[in-house]
This record gives sequence, C-alpha cells and structure tokens, in this order.
Amino acid sequence: MTATPTPAQAGSRAVVPAQTRKSAARPAGPASARTAPAAQDRPRRGLRGPAAGRAFLLPTGIALVLLIPLAAAFPGDGSWPAALSVDLSGPLGRAGDWIIDHRDSHPLFLHFFGHVSNAVVVAVRAVYVLLLAAGWTGVTALAALVACRLAGIRLALTCAAAFAACGLLGMWVPTMQTLALMVVAVAASVVLGALLGLAAGLSPRADRLLRPVLDTMQILPAFAYLLPMVLVFGIGVPAAVLATVVYAAPPMARLTALGLREADAGVMEAAASLGATGRQRLLTARLPLARPQLLLGVNQAIMTGLSMAVIASVIGAGGLGDRVYQALASVDVGAALAAGIPIVLLAVVLDRTADAAGRRLGAAPVPLSEQHLLRRVFAGWYGRLLTLLAAVAVAVVGRMAGTTAWPGSWTLSLAEPVNSAVAWMTDHLYSGVPVIGGTADWAARFTGWILDPLRGGLQAAPWWLLLLAAGALALLAGTWRTALTAVLALAAVGVLGVWEASLDTLSQVLAAVAVTLVAGFAIAVGAARSARAERLLRPVLDVCQTLPQFVYLIPVVALFGVGRAPAAAAAIVYALPAVVRITVQGLREVDPAVVESARSLGATRGQLLRQVQLPLARPALLLAVNQAVVLVLAVVIIGGLVGGGALGYDVVLGLAQGDLATGLVAGAAIVCLGLLLDRLTQPAKEA
Amino acid sequence: MNATNTPAPAAPDTAPGTAPDGGPAAPSVFSVNGLWKVFGPDKAAAKLPGSADAGLPAAELRERTGCTAAVRDVTFDVRKGEVFVVMGLSGSGKSTLVRCLTRLIEPTAGSLAIDGEDVLAMDATRLRALRRHRAAMVFQHFGLLPHRTVLDNVAYGLEIQGVARGDRRAKAAELVAKVGLDGLQDRRPGQLSGGQQQRVGLARALAADPEVLLFDEPFSALDPLIRREMQEEVARLHHEEGRTMVFITHDLAEALSLGDRIALMRDGRIVQLGTPEEIVGSPADDYVRDFVRDVPREQVLTVRTAMRPATAGEADQGPALAPATTVAEAIQAVARSGGPARVVDAGRCLGVVDDAGLLAVVAGLPAPTGRGVAA
Repeated sequence: MTATPTPAQAGSRAVVPAQTRKSAARPAGPASARTAPAAQDRPRRGLRGPAAGRAFLLPTGIALVLLIPLAAAFPGDGSWPAALSVDLSGPLGRAGDWIIDHRDSHPLFLHFFGHVSNAVVVAVRAVYVLLLAAGWTGVTALAALVACRLAGIRLALTCAAAFAACGLLGMWVPTMQTLALMVVAVAASVVLGALLGLAAGLSPRADRLLRPVLDTMQILPAFAYLLPMVLVFGIGVPAAVLATVVYAAPPMARLTALGLREADAGVMEAAASLGATGRQRLLTARLPLARPQLLLGVNQAIMTGLSMAVIASVIGAGGLGDRVYQALASVDVGAALAAGIPIVLLAVVLDRTADAAGRRLGAAPVPLSEQHLLRRVFAGWYGRLLTLLAAVAVAVVGRMAGTTAWPGSWTLSLAEPVNSAVAWMTDHLYSGVPVIGGTADWAARFTGWILDPLRGGLQAAPWWLLLLAAGALALLAGTWRTALTAVLALAAVGVLGVWEASLDTLSQVLAAVAVTLVAGFAIAVGAARSARAERLLRPVLDVCQTLPQFVYLIPVVALFGVGRAPAAAAAIVYALPAVVRITVQGLREVDPAVVESARSLGATRGQLLRQVQLPLARPALLLAVNQAVVLVLAVVIIGGLVGGGALGYDVVLGLAQGDLATGLVAGAAIVCLGLLLDRLTQPAKEA
Repeated sequence: MNATNTPAPAAPDTAPGTAPDGGPAAPSVFSVNGLWKVFGPDKAAAKLPGSADAGLPAAELRERTGCTAAVRDVTFDVRKGEVFVVMGLSGSGKSTLVRCLTRLIEPTAGSLAIDGEDVLAMDATRLRALRRHRAAMVFQHFGLLPHRTVLDNVAYGLEIQGVARGDRRAKAAELVAKVGLDGLQDRRPGQLSGGQQQRVGLARALAADPEVLLFDEPFSALDPLIRREMQEEVARLHHEEGRTMVFITHDLAEALSLGDRIALMRDGRIVQLGTPEEIVGSPADDYVRDFVRDVPREQVLTVRTAMRPATAGEADQGPALAPATTVAEAIQAVARSGGPARVVDAGRCLGVVDDAGLLAVVAGLPAPTGRGVAA
C-alpha cells in the first residue's frame, strides 16, 4: 500500500470518514461565517469565562430542581425505581407472536415483505449458483483478472492466493455463500444509498431530514439492526441481507450527499455560465465531480457490508460468519480460525481492489504507448470483454477438468494444530508465568480490579446522580440539546427496565475506552515522532481497519477464554487502530510553522508535545475519543457471544430462544447507550 | 475632437465619449441602467434600492437592514468592440456586477439590456441561449472539469449546446491551437500550470464564438510573468478579432494596459468612468487620485494632455506625433530633435508639445495655461 493516506484508507471503517468530514460538510456561504466562530469557541464554553459558568450552572440548577423531588419520591439502593419503568416484554411478545402468526396471511406481508423476501432469496440464490457454476477456477481467475486490470500483477496474485487459501482451508463453499450474500446486499445498499444521497445532496430539505437519521445510524452497533429484521422477516437469509443493506447504506448515502454538495462551486458556476440546463449540470458536472466520494462510498459499503454479512450469521446468514459463530459457541478456536482467516482475506482483497479502482479513476491517464504490455492488452472496453472471456474460459476449463468444487484432497485442516496450540497455551500461558503472570491472570485482574468496581460503582450510584452526570458531561461537550438527548437516552434505558444490564455494558465500555485511549495515544505519540515507526505501523493499521468486528473475537477467546475481560479486549483491539490513526494524523497536521517557532524558542520535546502539538491537535483527539467510544460499544455488544453478558447477551439470548421481547428491549437499550455515549463525546456538533 | 481642461465630471454617463479608435461612439452591446444587487433577506433586499437607507455605508446598512448592497445604482454602456474594464478593490462589487450581466446572480433592481434586448425579462430558455451563444465567461479559478481532457473541456460549451461530437471536437482542436496549447489536448486540467489552465478557460469561452467575452479577474491567480503573457494574449485576441470584452480586475496596471474605458468601483458604486487617460489625468475624487498616485503618468497620458496651441511657425516644423502618442514617447522624440514636436491628426496640426509641457505631466503639475487648441 502506498504511503499517502488516501481517504479510502483513512476511512475504511464506516464511521471514521463520516465523522471526520462532518465539519467539512457544513454548507458554505454566509451562514457558515456566522456559525464558524461559535463552533470554535463552544468546546471551551463550559470551562472558562463568566458566561460559561452561567451557561453551565443554570441548566444544572434546573436539572437539580427537577430531579431531587423525583429522587425523594423514589428512594432506593440506587437502581432505577421500578415504578418508573415500563415492562414491554408483554406487548412486544404479543406483537412478535402476531407477526409470526400473520406472516403468511396479512396483506402487508403477502404483498410487500413477502415479495421483498422472495426477491432477496432469489437474488442471493442466483449469485450463489453462478459462483458455484463458475467453479473455484472461474471465480479465482475472474478475481485475479479484475485485480490485474485495476491495480496490476501484484494485487492479482494476492487475489488469487487469497481465494486459493479459502479453498485450502476447506472453506470454499462458505466463502461463496458469504460472497453471494454480500454481492446482493452491497449492490442493494449502494443503489439505496446513492438514491438517498442524491436526494440529500440536491435538496437542502431532504438533507435536513436525512442527516440526523444517517448520523445516528452510523453510531449504532451492528447488533441493534438484527432484531427488527428478524421480527419482520424471521430468521434466515432475507433478514440477514436486509440488515446488511440497512447497515451498509448510510455510509454510501452520506458520502454521495457530501460529494454532491461539495462540488466545486466555481465549476458549477462555469457550467451555468455556459448555459447548461439543470439536468446537464447534474450529469456533466456535479456527478462526475463527486466521483471520488461515490467510489469511497462504494468501498465503505463493501467493507461495512462484509462486516455485517458476517455478524448476520447470528440471524441465519450462513457462510463464513456462521462457521465462526458455531465454533465460538463451542469455544473451538481452531475451527473459528479456519473460518476467520477467509473473512480476513476477503476483507483485505476487497478493500485493496475497491481502493485501487478509486485510485485508478482519480489518477492521470498514462499514455497508451508507455503502458506495460499486459495493461495495454486489458485497457479499454474490449479489455473488459477480454477479462470476462478469459474468466469464462478458465471456468470452462475447470469444469471440463471436473473440479467445480474445491478438490477435497487439497484441503488443509487447521483446526487440530490450532486447537493443540491453544491447549498448550492454556496449560502454559494462562497462569503462573513468572513475573508477568498469565493471560488468564490478566483477564481475572482486569475483571476483578477494574470491571467489577466500575460496574459496582455505577450500579450502586443513585440513578438520578447518573442522569445528572450524563447531562452535565453532555453540556460540557456540546449544547443544551446534546445534554437533553443524553439525559433522555439514559432515562430511556431505565424506563425499558434494563438499567442493571445497561450499566454492566457501560462499565465494560468505559473500562475498554480508557485502556484504548491510553494505549492509542501512547502509540500515536510515538508513531508521530518517528517516521520509521509510522511506516511500520501503517500497513498493520490498514489491515486492522478493514477487518469485520466479528473476527476480533477469535484471538481473544484463544488468549483469555470467555468472559467480560475478553469481550473488552476484543473491543480494545478493534478500536485501537482508529484511535492511533486519527491521533497520528492530528499530530502530523499541526501547523509546522507553529512547531518551528516553538522549537526556535527552545522548547524541549516534552514541552513541544504538551504545549503545542496536543493542544493544536485537540479536534483530532476529541474525534479519536468519540470513535473509540462508538467502536468499543459495537464490539462490547458483540462480546455477548463470548461471555460478555449484559445487553449483548440479551440480544443473543432473544435470538436463540425466539424470545423477541427480551432481544428487542436490549436492542433498544443498545441504541440508547449508543446515542448517550456519542453525545457525551461529540464536541460541538452543529448547533 | 476636443480635450477639455476642466476635470472630468464624476457622473459616468457624461464622460467624454472617445471611442477606442477615435471614431464616433459604437453601438452599445450591454446597456446597464440603475442596476442594484442587494444580498440579504429577500423582502428587505427588494425594498432597499431607492429607499432612504440606500446611501448608508456598508456596515451601517448591514446593521439596520441585514442587507449588503454589492452593486448600487450602477449605470454604464459597453460599446461594441471595446475592452471595458471594471476595476476596484476586493469587496467593491465588481465580480457581482459581471455576474449580473448574464444573471448568474439575479440583480435586485434596475434595467439591463444586451443589444437592446431586455435581459431581465428573458425566460429560462432565452437566458440559456444568451449564455450559450452571446456572452461567455472566463473565471478567476478557471472552473474546469477535472475529469475531462483539455479538448473535452474546451468542447464542453458546445456539448451543452448539443453540437455533435465530431464537430465540437474539431472546433475545440482549432481553439486549443489558437490559444497556444497544441499538443496538450489529451492532458487533464490537473496536469497543467495555472496559465495553461486559464488558456483552456479562454478557449472554452471562445469556442461558442460569443459576441461578448466576460473576464472575472482571470489572471489574479497567476504568477506575474504568466500574467503579463496572458494579458498580451488577450490583447492579441482583441486586436485580431475585435471582440467586445468586459474585463474585471483589481490590478490597476492591468486595467490601464488593457482597457479602452475603465469603470472604477468602490462600495458598489462607480466612482469614475472614463479612458485610462481621464482616470489618471483627471481623477474624479480623492479616492481615485489616491488610487492612481503611483501610476507612471507619462506612460498613460498622451500628448493631448501635454500640448499647447502652436504659435506661428511652429505648425509646420519639428517631428510629427499622432494624438495617441504617450508622453513617454513624446519625450523621446522631443529629446532627440531638441525642439518642440507637433501633434498631427489626419494632416492637421492640433498643437505642439515642448519640454516644459511634457515635464509638467511627468511631475503631476497642473497643465500649462492655454493647453488645448481651439482650432
């Protein structure tokens, strides 16, 4: 991968670019001139100055006046008062039962959801059959040829090797299942996202309507999307595909809208000055100008789509995710790894290919005569045809050789050696290693010294105090509205009756975020200082950021067993790359003139970091915190699969036992927690 | 034609009408009368022109009404074949004014006509036709499509008009050669230098063969050397084709060297409109005087300003100079001959310039008494 931080790389995870671009996405014009200074000093507002004091004290006072009588009316041991909660399991259960009963008879299902579901099944089936018919030879050849056309021989070899590895591990069929599901879901989400983005990009009103929805959708953990789909479609491929579509469409929509809105005003004016009609302006100027963002959107849709397609195995997606899920359920690390490696390979190959496609379109064309012979052969439209023909030819040859399915004798069993390695690790590394202790000891200590006290503290704290704290923190970070959202979100958790479980999840999130930030900032400061460290780190971060959340569970189970500590560990590992990357970028982008002048005044390295770099990189640091919180929450919830307990477990349990009410309530609580955490850490969002 | 020895009146309309080639005034292409552009809330903006608040300074106006008047009551004519320069510092409203001419920005009040046809009354179709065929614009930041080649960028205007692919590419290739970009037609704008990009912008504007070319600070983003080159290019084009041009700039030297007539804007108003010589030689107010203070007068002012009536015998000896000769050139002639030189127009002696008169112009002193000729 090249050394320049392309947007595609910086934003391989859905939320990152969307958040980074939020500031850039503000509409230009006189309005921005008015809001800009306000936005700049808002972060400081709660901290300094007499006006700041008033703005902070007043709402706090009001909140106290409102909350103290409530607290007096519901004394208790700190838990949410039962009288203020609503038990939704009855009505939700009945609604779930009603839907299950009427799925085959009600017109809404017959004439709408039924058709949607059938279409999805047919589409996935068709792609799957096509992939199987092409055989492993055809699929591998097509992937390699496409990669070759886009990026050259190296990526082509990587592609071929990745697919061959999937076959070698005995995962050819599950890989094709996942791929089929993904192709359909990503295609649908790209179309849906592009349409929504078109609306938001062209009409300010649609933008005002859509933006908060898309913003919120991007911070929600993947798990929150599963249950509503199951409620409507039941467990199976349609629910999995549609959950993936819903999860992968927002980044595409956001980036499309962003690209259209940010089209160079000068170019648009030039087009108008030449007498272009509205349609001509859109087709010949605005859309082509947005092409980089559109491609980035497709890349994002692919990566989030893969991530979700794997997680959706919990609701019947089948394929690789399902293998991992089954293996994790029986703590069979070897089997999980055998299915996890193809996921990783798929992610890397897809990301590189999509990235190369974007770069190729953005790059200057090389004159035909200077191109490599191989490239020259595959250039132009006939090159496309040639690619397809070559792939078909290979597929036919493969079929004639009688090897449509991956030959069974060519597989390599990874499970047993891995399992014996894990067993060895369990015996030797879990505990009793001199001086440093074992991994299980660490996990136990993390649980006993950090997670338990934190959970105990949160659960013992009076509920109104927590509400107050949430409100105050949100006010510090943002505006009145932020505070209100945060308080309402936390209160909703209590009303839903999952106060204890939510605080359990919250304690895991807080602990994991703390570790992530400490480690992330430390690594980033080091990497920003040494170009060599950053060069070493970058490819690792690139790969880490493309991996689906699900695969992070595999190594932590191997290392730490099951429980809350592994879930937190997975979350930390998952969120770390984003934090490091954003922080490094922030430190790097500090105005060199300021750094130089500080150095000329004789500042030491430490002084430089403390007094210049960190303060100037403040926006990046705040963004890193926000990302850490959102990403950690997503994985802590999934950690319910490996003994993380709390809300994630409720969702899994709800799915496993068909107890939709429990799952839906937990899902709603996850949404609330996501909102709360995002608002607490989102500095000075648009007012 | 007489040069006056009274200061040029401030009212733009009454500026002495010397057409570029000295002939009678050509028919006007753009005719702008009492044009206003007020930014701000629609209702308040529409009420402003002609109201009591209209004369307020910008800051006060903004406070009182929430509006910004970018163009205030501007009146001028652009004559066929001339280079009409609108000059002013940033924020003086000149870019807004040029955009009003093709309604890229909708004027708030006033009247505007092209070849006698009311532009403000045009419907969308006629307005598009105006932009496609009659007035083309060159932008400060080029406004090129980054994903298209040079050739396709030049052909873009024709594509919008619906010209067939082959025709428009042939025409575009011709123009690419004309602006000196031969061999670069397959590059993308991103691969070109600023000057080359602006040549593409110029070629694109020329492709539609428009009646008027509008330039919005076209060379401000370029390096000084490239800027000079491009100015010469525009002068050459104007010389070759005689196309009408409206040229916006904040660079006085550029305005003086290119403009047949210059409108100097300040706070949305035209403070003086006249030939470069009138602007430099008789500034309408202190603002203009301050503006042109550092201009080398001898290179702008002509012998018309410096001459005095010929005394007996002078009318037929000494070197002959055309009335458009600059003072700097006259100094050379006078120095070489050692005596006064005659100003001759079509065989008739208009007057005489001597070293005293020329030096007075260079020093910025009031003109020698009796300047100008009644003959």
